[in-house]
Amino acid sequence: MKSLRRWWGPSHPAQLLLGLTLWSLWFVAIYAGLSVACALAPPGAGQGALTAINGGIALLTLATLALLAWLAWRGLCAGRQAAGGGRFIALVGAGLHVYAAAGVAFVAWPLVALPPCL
Amino acid sequence: MSESMRPTPEAERLHQELEAVWGNPPGWRGRLSAVNHSTLGLRFMVTGLVFFLLGGVLAMLIRTQLALPDQAFMSPEIYAQVTTMHGTVMMFLFAIPVLEGLAIYLIPKMIGARDLACPRLTAFGYWCYLFGGIILFSSLLLEMAPDSGWFMYTPLSSSEFAPGPGSDFWLLGITFVEISALAAGVEITVSILRTRAPGMALHRMPLFAWYILAMALMIVVGFPPLILGSVLLELERAAGMPFFTVAGGGDPILWQHLFWLFGHPEVYIIFLPAAGIVSTLIPVFAGRPIVGYGWVVAAIIITGFISFGLWVHHMFTVGIPQLAQAFFSAASMLVAVPTAIQVFAWLATLWLGRPRMALPMLWVTGFLVIFVCGGLTGVMLALVPFNWQVHDTHFVVAHLHYVLVGGMFFPLVAGAYYWLPLVTGRMPSERLGRLGFWLTFLGFNLTFLIMHWTGLLGMPRRVYTYDSAMGWDLFNLISSVGGFMMAAGIAAVLVDLVLHGRYGRRAPRNPWGADTLEWSLAMPPANYNFASLPRVESRHPLWVNPTLGDEIARGEHERPGAAHGRRELLGGEALTGRVREVIHLPVNSLLPLFAALCLAVVCIGLLVRLYPLALVGLAGAGILLLRWSWENGGHPRAAPLGRDELESPPLHSRTADGPGRWTMGVALLADGAFFLSLLFGWFYLWTVSPQWQMPDRSPLSLPLLLASGAALTLGSLWLERRAAALQRGRESGLVLALTGIAALGGLHLVLLVWGLWAAGLAPTVTAHDATLTVGLAYLLGHAGLAAILAALQAWRAQLGLVGARLPFEPGVVALLWRYQLGVYWILVAAMALLPRLTGAGS
Repeated sequence: MKSLRRWWGPSHPAQLLLGLTLWSLWFVAIYAGLSVACALAPPGAGQGALTAINGGIALLTLATLALLAWLAWRGLCAGRQAAGGGRFIALVGAGLHVYAAAGVAFVAWPLVALPPCL
Repeated sequence: MSESMRPTPEAERLHQELEAVWGNPPGWRGRLSAVNHSTLGLRFMVTGLVFFLLGGVLAMLIRTQLALPDQAFMSPEIYAQVTTMHGTVMMFLFAIPVLEGLAIYLIPKMIGARDLACPRLTAFGYWCYLFGGIILFSSLLLEMAPDSGWFMYTPLSSSEFAPGPGSDFWLLGITFVEISALAAGVEITVSILRTRAPGMALHRMPLFAWYILAMALMIVVGFPPLILGSVLLELERAAGMPFFTVAGGGDPILWQHLFWLFGHPEVYIIFLPAAGIVSTLIPVFAGRPIVGYGWVVAAIIITGFISFGLWVHHMFTVGIPQLAQAFFSAASMLVAVPTAIQVFAWLATLWLGRPRMALPMLWVTGFLVIFVCGGLTGVMLALVPFNWQVHDTHFVVAHLHYVLVGGMFFPLVAGAYYWLPLVTGRMPSERLGRLGFWLTFLGFNLTFLIMHWTGLLGMPRRVYTYDSAMGWDLFNLISSVGGFMMAAGIAAVLVDLVLHGRYGRRAPRNPWGADTLEWSLAMPPANYNFASLPRVESRHPLWVNPTLGDEIARGEHERPGAAHGRRELLGGEALTGRVREVIHLPVNSLLPLFAALCLAVVCIGLLVRLYPLALVGLAGAGILLLRWSWENGGHPRAAPLGRDELESPPLHSRTADGPGRWTMGVALLADGAFFLSLLFGWFYLWTVSPQWQMPDRSPLSLPLLLASGAALTLGSLWLERRAAALQRGRESGLVLALTGIAALGGLHLVLLVWGLWAAGLAPTVTAHDATLTVGLAYLLGHAGLAAILAALQAWRAQLGLVGARLPFEPGVVALLWRYQLGVYWILVAAMALLPRLTGAGS
């Protein structure tokens, strides 16, 4: 537990990997989830983009974005207070979280805006 | 020689003492048993260069054939072999190994270490590469070369359409060579994280080390999908297991997924070290630190991650859903961002510095021009409609050469010119170097810029000739002329490389005014690199202290000399570089060579379908590798326990967390990537394959699997407990406990074999049974290894090589058991429980 808490800290090197790992997990969840959802419960023809599947994608995306934004903000605050290696890790980690959030938003945009299961 | 470079008597004494411990033995035996990173790094690079020349000759043959329409210079069959082998040789036998060699040679010198953390693994990797490369290339000489393209798409590469041994050469040879890449990936990762100079915290690490760390981790995660794909395809070809055959429930598209899961990251595996060279050279020749060190580090990490999310953009035309195409198109554009960050950091550094246009910088400039163009056509190819238009045309060939030659070859030559004085102590010829650059640069653009137009006019790749009426004549002729011009440029560079060792003027110390540690060494460096190990408190140690090299040579820094007779490195904390232990390394040995030879026997045995021979080779390799692992820790040939033991810092085998544990951890990461690829294959075939047949009842016996899993779980928990107790200094009953754990491992194995036998699978009939067989075989292999290693630990404890004072090894073996525990239950859940729960067969 103690070791997990240490890994979670904004100045731990794991932060360099966390943001993009979350991006990857979101990526896999959306790609696989969309395929399964379209196989099990495809929306009716002519329903457009306003479907339950797109709603689910939007919700998961917003939750991921919120988590990444919070992690970025936390890293930024920690970086301002720390020095040396801790400062470096926290700030680079914050930048990576911002990029991961942008990546989530950029990839999610066409998925939410277009009808699913094309 | 300057006054400061003249060795003092103390420096001379240190040199002799260290050379006696770290030197390569004389004669052939010495050459074959060398494990030194400098020797092996150079061997990797020289061997890679030989393969580059061979691949280059193949390229010239291709250009000769295509120079004019309706040519019969080569038959279509030979042309298909030549194009396949050109791509294969350049990607697998040149690009990756030569960059690995550069990393193996430079990384210890840059991070202030005397060697890599696993020197015998370096040697093993080199021999695997050499033998695998020879086996693969021999297919061309035997006129049996693979001819299905360098990505070996099924069913073209399957036995129905490629009945000869060509595909087998590719699949077995590449897998053999990839052992080498994985070995380098694992040990470079561990070395960078754990053996940096004291004080070299992550934020002070040279950028080149960041790039190489990313490359190494990408190899570790990226190569296993292709290894799995190769294993499955070879099983299909040799044993008839229908993984990629639709009629048997397989799917040829699975091969494309597995190949490109490796293949796209591969491009960045090649690009990142080359970008590392650029990020090292530009600050030196601009005379100032790089702008945005942190931004560049972030860009490296982003590239490493994002490159694994783009593989489907190679498959936009195979018929995947449109939304998935939009998804991967967006992801493909994302990767341009970190690349742009690096380009802007390089330009800003040049802008704010005072650039000197020395020879290496000329090649860096060529890189910037060509690579940016290649990157832009990459963004074009990420757009689905455009991709559909130019898919499989010469436009794609031109793009990939802009990215790979511009992104890898130009920086590599820049790096070669930059580090040559370090390796040989002599300067290259400016005149020959500049001639070589301009011929190569102009020849390259003549060949490949024009090829974009050939592609846009619709010329498909891999066609052996074309009709004059197509209107491609002039473009192809210009490309061929450019190709030969480029070859002349490369020849000029090679002549320079060969001649400068004899005729080049002697290099002054640190001739480019560089900032990194490798330039503090003698030129050429001694086998031990550093006579004493420097403390590093800056990103630019030589700019801060230009006399650092002399201080190191005089033994004024940490752990000077080697009076103890051991090869030692300082082991530090991954984040801070604070010294934690002294790592003792194994010495020269023939074991890596013999183990690689045994694997070559396996490879040849499988090629000629002489399976008993392959089995003998496999057993031989296993025995040799276990023997290799035996000479470790407190073994008399390693670091036996003594009365005057080091206390602070201790030897790593007296601690619980030496580099061996990290090596096991990183190796298991690669293993995990292989396992996840297998799991992906299972679910992919289950959900996508059009004729997948899930039986009504799972053939796997749940009680047997649960019993086997129970034995494994008990054994693993027991081992964890004993390893923890050992670290607390409690060793009573250790031999008995380890024997019991090994017995539980044996029981797990036996029950698993029983389960496999009782299942009565028909792996040559359905892809379902074939996948189950591979899954169970994977578990069996790991179960056997876990049991054997536990038994060996019991034996070592009996001999006093494991105990309270030597607590290291059980913790390493426990990692393997923990891994097996995880994958076992995941596989049981995925292959035995889930089909039952979902009623998939009904």
